[in-house]
Amino acid sequence: MKKRILVVDDFTSIRDFVCETLQKKGYDTVSASNGAEAYKLLENGETVNLVLSDYNMPLCTGLELLKKIKSNTSTSKLPVIFLTTETDPGKMKTAKDAGLSAWIKKPYNAESFFAQLEKAMANG
Amino acid sequence: MDNNQKRFVEDALDLLNELDEGLMQLEANPEARAPLEQVFRTMHTIKGGANMFGFPNIGELAHNLETLFDFIRQGKLQISDKLISITLHAFDKVRDLFQAKDASKILESPDITEHITIVKTFVESVIAQSPEQTEFSGTRKDVLASFFIRVAPTVSLTVDGNHALVFIIKDVEALGTSKSYCYNNNDGTVAHWDIFLSTTSTLAEIESYFLFIEDECKVITEKLYGADLFESPSFTAFIDHFTKAPVEVEVLRSFVAGLSGELDQDAEEESELNGNFAASKKTLNDTYVKVSKRKIDDLLNWISELIILQAQLTNAASGINSQALLEVTEHMEMVTHRLRDTSLEIGLVPVETLVTKFKRLVRDLSKGLNKKVNFLSEGAETELDKDVIEVMSEPIMHIIRNAIDHGIETPEIRRSLGKSEHGTIKLKAFNSSSFVNLVISDDGKGIRRETVLKKAIEKGMVSPEAQLADDEILSLIFHSGLSTATAISDVSGRGVGMDVVKQKIDDLRGYVSVKSTVDKGTSIHIKLPLSRSIIEGLLVRVDDTRYVVPLNMIERIDRIPYDGLDKNNSVNKSILVNEQLLNVFSLRNKFHPGSQPPKTTDIISISVNGVRRAIAVDRIEGKMQTVLKPLGAAYQQQDFIAGSTILGDGSLALVLDPSRLFQSFQ
Repeated sequence: MKKRILVVDDFTSIRDFVCETLQKKGYDTVSASNGAEAYKLLENGETVNLVLSDYNMPLCTGLELLKKIKSNTSTSKLPVIFLTTETDPGKMKTAKDAGLSAWIKKPYNAESFFAQLEKAMANG
Repeated sequence: MDNNQKRFVEDALDLLNELDEGLMQLEANPEARAPLEQVFRTMHTIKGGANMFGFPNIGELAHNLETLFDFIRQGKLQISDKLISITLHAFDKVRDLFQAKDASKILESPDITEHITIVKTFVESVIAQSPEQTEFSGTRKDVLASFFIRVAPTVSLTVDGNHALVFIIKDVEALGTSKSYCYNNNDGTVAHWDIFLSTTSTLAEIESYFLFIEDECKVITEKLYGADLFESPSFTAFIDHFTKAPVEVEVLRSFVAGLSGELDQDAEEESELNGNFAASKKTLNDTYVKVSKRKIDDLLNWISELIILQAQLTNAASGINSQALLEVTEHMEMVTHRLRDTSLEIGLVPVETLVTKFKRLVRDLSKGLNKKVNFLSEGAETELDKDVIEVMSEPIMHIIRNAIDHGIETPEIRRSLGKSEHGTIKLKAFNSSSFVNLVISDDGKGIRRETVLKKAIEKGMVSPEAQLADDEILSLIFHSGLSTATAISDVSGRGVGMDVVKQKIDDLRGYVSVKSTVDKGTSIHIKLPLSRSIIEGLLVRVDDTRYVVPLNMIERIDRIPYDGLDKNNSVNKSILVNEQLLNVFSLRNKFHPGSQPPKTTDIISISVNGVRRAIAVDRIEGKMQTVLKPLGAAYQQQDFIAGSTILGDGSLALVLDPSRLFQSFQ
């Protein structure tokens, strides 16, 4: 079965681009434009193998989404990766402590990107 | 533009409208939190998108603006009109470019480059103002440091495998100049990697790469030195030894410590750099107005008239025995000088504006020529006349082009010479008295004097018997038609270049000199007068004519008996002055023959392109500050006269251009 990835980004063109890139690699995708929307999808029983989220978003940031996912027993095993322009080591540490699987910096290197995705899904 | 880019541009245009809206709200209500967050986030999104869809210049612009708005969020900066208008103008430009939907135009837009510079300068001024500079992580991107990173996987993986760590290592290597070794276990799995890295990233940034993989590897990161160790040949030679067995960290540390002799200079340079940085604090709460260049020129013209009038007043007042009048004139002299200094500063812009342009040039050219080149700038806050900067931009680009094309060797050759694969080109700007100095240096192969001399003799520029000093040989590169390149490339080497560079510098009444050591590099030193119209000079008299000799060229003054000079020749070879043999040019013999000569003559020693020459005059009258006035068309041919000036008593003096004087009458 195809692996399913939830892509969360408030910027439509990036979200679409990421989804298309993932689909070309043989993943299924589902998308949301902010953390709140993404979490609602998960709460409503959407099953995915990985959440790939932006960090800075309106309404509910990537970090807030991460904390919600990790604090809910039904989703806490779900691996979360941030795909972001943010590079602040302090924020990375906080996210790591909150249970983040990987932090990929935009623009990403394709090989490194897919390797980290696969690694997160294998471990989760 | 591909479809993804088109979609991004459409979305970005919407975002830009939201951004405008947010900025307007902020302007009306600077304390409001919500629009601030919105503006910050929008910029962040534009940055991410632009980088992702292949518009790195717009990404860089957005990044710098984001930094500014982050300062506001952290309370380090207040919303100001300047900030809002800088932001609006920058994004107006982005909007225009996006609407044109031409990817190459966007990427090559000089306007974006200019806006990046403006925003960067602003960011730097904020940092300079802040007492806690260290908190601004990653904003001083020009400072290189060297690191040692040892990564030992705790899981079994191979270097050609698909493990994420393999790719993270590659990402880290790409952060700057690096040399890395991978040591395998007997079964072919990776035991550990050693990376020597010189980068502008901080230690925390490097460590953050391994944050999410720390369960699967052990990482040691260590800052070795606060400068680029790859610049040190003994360091690069040292790390070459570890192909078979890894270096011991203790050995590495003590080796770097032992490099002190070679590195002291770097450290000094670095502290000097930091010193300059601290000194360059600017008043942040300044407001700015845009003024047309014409108005500034008018102002300067009137001020130069005022300086002349002021000199006349001082002169007239000295003839009248009135204490009150003398006091007023003295005071006025001071005010006039202040006024002059301030008004001269109006037209000045920092050299920084050029730096971005050069960085881009270095990047593009080095890629095109398959060379690895770092570009560093120092003292970019040094200010220069805007006109001068515009005139100098082309010549400096040419020098940089030459340095990359002819100076810096290919990575293979550099490695074989024990140099770092990355060449370095450095632009250093600093003030000295009334000059601005620009030094462009590279660590390439240097200029071979034999080759230059041979070429020059072939072309008949120099006679084979001529005995030339090293400096004179190097100066030959400024002659037209002399190119020492063996192969003519697209970039440089047509031999029309350095002469034009020299010409432009001459036009600005500046000087240029070359220093070069074979295999170590070349450095070109350009010295430009701060102002194009006001000069400090020595007033001298020959017969009843007065001349002004620019003060900055004068090395010393001696008085000798007039009989010491040959009465029939204007140029006297080898006159003994102060126990030195000099070529002396006698103004009297050339322009005022026949009149009764004085008993003694004053010999003014000057330095022309590093060579000492002298001018003989009748008498020295004193030091003066003067305004250069161009001579009429009839005198344009006499280029040894830089211009004229009106003296305090209303009479005229001619301002000499000594280097041209010697060229004309040699």
